[in-house]
Amino acid sequence: MIVRIASGISGFDELTSSEDNLALKLGGFPENSATLIYGPPEVGKSTFCYQFTYQGLTQDEPCLYLTTDHGIQDIYDTMKGIGLNLDDYLENEMLYVVDAVSSDMEVEESDIYQRSSVHNPTDMLVKVSRVARSISQKSPRLRGVVDSVTTILESNNEMLIVRVLKTYILRIKEAGGTVIITYIEGSADSRTETLIKSMVDNIIKLDGEKIIIEAMKGMGRKEDAYRTTDEGIVILHDEQ
Amino acid sequence: MSTVESGIPGLDELLQSEAGYDLGGIPQNTSTLVYGPPKVGKSIFSYQFANHGLNLEEPCLYITADEGMKQLQQNMIDFGWYLQNAMEKELLYVIDSISSLSGAPIETTNTYTPSKINDPTDLMVKVGIGTRFVFKKSNEFRSVFDSLTTPFAFNPEPMVIRFLKTYIRRLQEAGSTLVITYTEGVADENTEKILKSVVDNVIMLDGSYLTFRSSEGLMGTAEYQITNQGLVLGEGEIL
Amino acid sequence: MKKTHIPKLDDFLGGGIPEGSSVLFYADPGVECEAFGYQTLQSRLEEGDSGFIFTNVTEPSSIIYEFEKFGWDLEKKVDDKRVFFVDGSSYFIGAPVTGKYGIEDYSQIEDVVIKAINDVPDGLGVINNLSTLIDYLDDGETVRIINKWNQVANDNKTILIYIFTEWDYENALIEQIKDSMDCLVNLSTIEERVIIGQGFMVTGASWTTPSSNRVLFNIMRPGGVKIFIPKILVTGPFNAGKSSFVKKIAKNSVSVDRMALGQVPTTIAMDIGHMEYKGFNADVFGTPGQERFDLILDILSKEAVGAFIVVDSTAPETFARAKEMMKRCKAEAIPKVIVANKQDLPDSLSPEKIRKVMNIDQSIPIVPTSLHLNEGIEDAMDALLEILYR
Repeated sequence: MIVRIASGISGFDELTSSEDNLALKLGGFPENSATLIYGPPEVGKSTFCYQFTYQGLTQDEPCLYLTTDHGIQDIYDTMKGIGLNLDDYLENEMLYVVDAVSSDMEVEESDIYQRSSVHNPTDMLVKVSRVARSISQKSPRLRGVVDSVTTILESNNEMLIVRVLKTYILRIKEAGGTVIITYIEGSADSRTETLIKSMVDNIIKLDGEKIIIEAMKGMGRKEDAYRTTDEGIVILHDEQ
Repeated sequence: MSTVESGIPGLDELLQSEAGYDLGGIPQNTSTLVYGPPKVGKSIFSYQFANHGLNLEEPCLYITADEGMKQLQQNMIDFGWYLQNAMEKELLYVIDSISSLSGAPIETTNTYTPSKINDPTDLMVKVGIGTRFVFKKSNEFRSVFDSLTTPFAFNPEPMVIRFLKTYIRRLQEAGSTLVITYTEGVADENTEKILKSVVDNVIMLDGSYLTFRSSEGLMGTAEYQITNQGLVLGEGEIL
Repeated sequence: MKKTHIPKLDDFLGGGIPEGSSVLFYADPGVECEAFGYQTLQSRLEEGDSGFIFTNVTEPSSIIYEFEKFGWDLEKKVDDKRVFFVDGSSYFIGAPVTGKYGIEDYSQIEDVVIKAINDVPDGLGVINNLSTLIDYLDDGETVRIINKWNQVANDNKTILIYIFTEWDYENALIEQIKDSMDCLVNLSTIEERVIIGQGFMVTGASWTTPSSNRVLFNIMRPGGVKIFIPKILVTGPFNAGKSSFVKKIAKNSVSVDRMALGQVPTTIAMDIGHMEYKGFNADVFGTPGQERFDLILDILSKEAVGAFIVVDSTAPETFARAKEMMKRCKAEAIPKVIVANKQDLPDSLSPEKIRKVMNIDQSIPIVPTSLHLNEGIEDAMDALLEILYR
C-alpha cells in the first residue's frame, strides 16, 4: 500500500486515487518520492509548484523551495494572486527558500532565506542539503521543490547537473521529503532528459490543455484536461 | 539446460513454451540485461527476481546503484516484499553504491556494505567480498545490478563497460545467474551495442510489451502490466 | 631510501624506495589496492616527510574517514600542513572542493599535479586512481602525462605512488605505463571461483633485483596491510599417505596432538610444518581424514588457501570419503589438488580412471605421485600454485 499526500491541485487527488480509494479521495503524490513535472514553457508548471507547496504548509509540512526563475517577492505576489497567502508560513519559519535568481538582491539572508546562483551548482547543493538536514531534525516530513531544473541545465555542464540532481533527490528523500522538479521539454540533450526521467519516481506532463500522468508509483498512465484559473490549476473531470 | 524461476508471473511459462526448458525460467548461470525507457518496470523486475529467489532460499547479491538501501526496502515494501528476513538468514548481501552521496559516513554490517558511485575499484572489491559471502551459502545464487543508469552518469562510458565485463565474468565463474538493468538512451549507441553484446540474454521492456531474446537466439514476447504484485505477463508468443 | 613500512615490501625492495622514484601498484580488479598507497604515505608522514593525495575517486573527507578506520589521524596532519589533497573528485559530483588544489576540468590535471609535486620535495605523492584517469584523457595523453610527472618528481626527489586497477586495457597501454615506472608491484587475487585471498609481489625495481616472493595479505581496519602465512591442508582417507606427503613438502614437520573444542572435545593428531616452494610460503597442516576433518576445517578455513587431498590409487573403496572432504572444501571455496598416491603399485588406477570413478570436474587437477619413489611431489605443488596464481 502506497501512502499518498494531498497535492493541493484541485482534482489531482481524485485523478490519482485508486478505484477502491476513490470515495476516500486518498490520492495525491506518493509520499517520499520524486516527481518530474515537464512540458512546454508557460503551461502552469510553476503554479503547480506553488499549490503543492501551499498544501504542505497548511498541513504542517515544511517546504524547501529552490527557485531559479522567480525571486522570492515574485513568488509571494503570484501566490497571493491565486489566493495563497504566505505571511503566516514565512513568520512560522515553515517555508525555506534557496533563491538562485541572481538579480534578486533586496531580501536579507536568514535561516529561511538563502541566496545562491544557478551558475554555482555546488553552492546550491550545499545550501539545500544544509537546510534539508535542519528541517529533518524538527519534522519527519517535508516537501521539496526545484523550479526549474531547465535554468540550471542551461548554465552548466548537463552531466554535472544530472549528478547534482541525483544527489539532491537522494538527500531530500533521506530527510523524509517528497520532491517535485520542473523541466521544459526538449531544453536539454535527449540523453540528459532520459537520465532525469530515470531518476524520478513519477513523471507528469503538462501540455497546456491536458495533464498526463505518464508514470506514477502504484498506478498506470492517466490523463485529464486542466485549466489555469484565478485559483491556480484546476483539473476538469469531464473527460474521464 | 537448468533454469531459475524469474518470479515474474507468466514469464517462466513463456520461456518454457519457447525453449522447452524443464522448469521454465531464465537459463541458469547466464547474464540477462533488462533494458528499456525510464519507468517501465526494470527495477520492479529486479525486485521480483531477487525476492522470488529469496523465497526459494536462493541467496542473492544485490547491487543497488540508483536507490539507497532505505529506499530500496521501501520500494519493495510497496509490493509487500520484505528483505529483513533474508538478511537475518544471511541469504542476501547488499552493496549500496549510491547512499554515500548523502554525505554521511555509513557503517558496514555483515550483510550490507556501502561503496561509491564514481569508484569502480572500490565497487569491485565489495563485489568480491559479497560474492564470497553468498557463494558460501550456495553456489547457485542470484545477483542483481540495478542499475547501470546512474554509473553512466558518474563515470566515463568505457569505464562502466570495463567494470561490467569484469563483474559478469566474476559472477558467472562463481555460478551466479545475473540480472542487470539499464535505461535505454543514457549511453551512446555504440556503448549500448557493446552492453547488449556482453550479456547472454536481453529482456526489453517498453511499457506495454516484454520481449526476451536468449543467447541461442530464442525470442518471445508478451504483453505485461505493472500491478501491486509486480510485473504480470499476459499471453505470450514465440517469435 | 624511504621505508614504506608495509610488511615484507621493504625487504623485497632492498630496504625501501629511493627518493624521486615512481612506483606502480597494479591490481587485479577486486583487490584492495589503495591501502598500499595510504599506508606508505602514513609511514612517510610519521617519519617527518610531507606528502599529498591526488584523488579522483572520492572526496577528501571520505579519505580522511578511511584513514581513521585504519587508525591513522590524517586530519591533524592536514591541519598541520604536512599533507594536502589535490581534489579531482568533488567538483564533478557537485560537492565543495576542499583540497589545497581542486580540479574542475581534466585539462588542468597535468599542471596541478606538477605544482603538488613541487610542493613536497623529498616527500611523497599518491595518485588514486590512475585507471579512472585513463578514460577521461586518451591513452597517449595519459602516458605522456605520467612520464612528465615522473620526470618532475625525479628532479624534485619526490616519490610518486600510483594506484592502478588493471581493467581490460590494451596491452600496449599497460606496457607503456609499466615502462614509465621505476618500480612495479603486482597485487593479485587468489581465486577459486570466488576471490579467497590477495597477494603482492614486486615484479620490477630499477635499483635492485627484487625478491620474487609473493606474500598474501589482508587489509585490517585498524591496522592496514597485514601479511599472513597461508595455511595448506593435507588430508585424505586412512592410509593414503598424508603424513608422508606432509614430510615431503615440509621438511621439518612434526606430529602433534591438538585439542579441538567442538561439542565434544577431541584430540586430533596433526602433522605441522612449513613449506617454502618457488617463493611461496605456507604453514602445512596434515590432518586425519576421519570425521574430525570438519572440525579442523572450521578452525583453519579462514586462512587456508589450498588443500591437497591424498588418495590411495589402489583403494577405490576409500574414494567416497575423499569426495566428502572435497565437498567441504568446495563449500569453503578452497582450491584443491588431488594427489593420486601409490602410482608405483601394479594395481593402481590412473588419474583419468580416478577422475571417472570419483566423478570429478576437469577443473580440479589429479596429480599422479609415488611418495615411495619420490615422484610427482613437485608436480602437485606446481598444480596448486597454478590455481592460486592464475
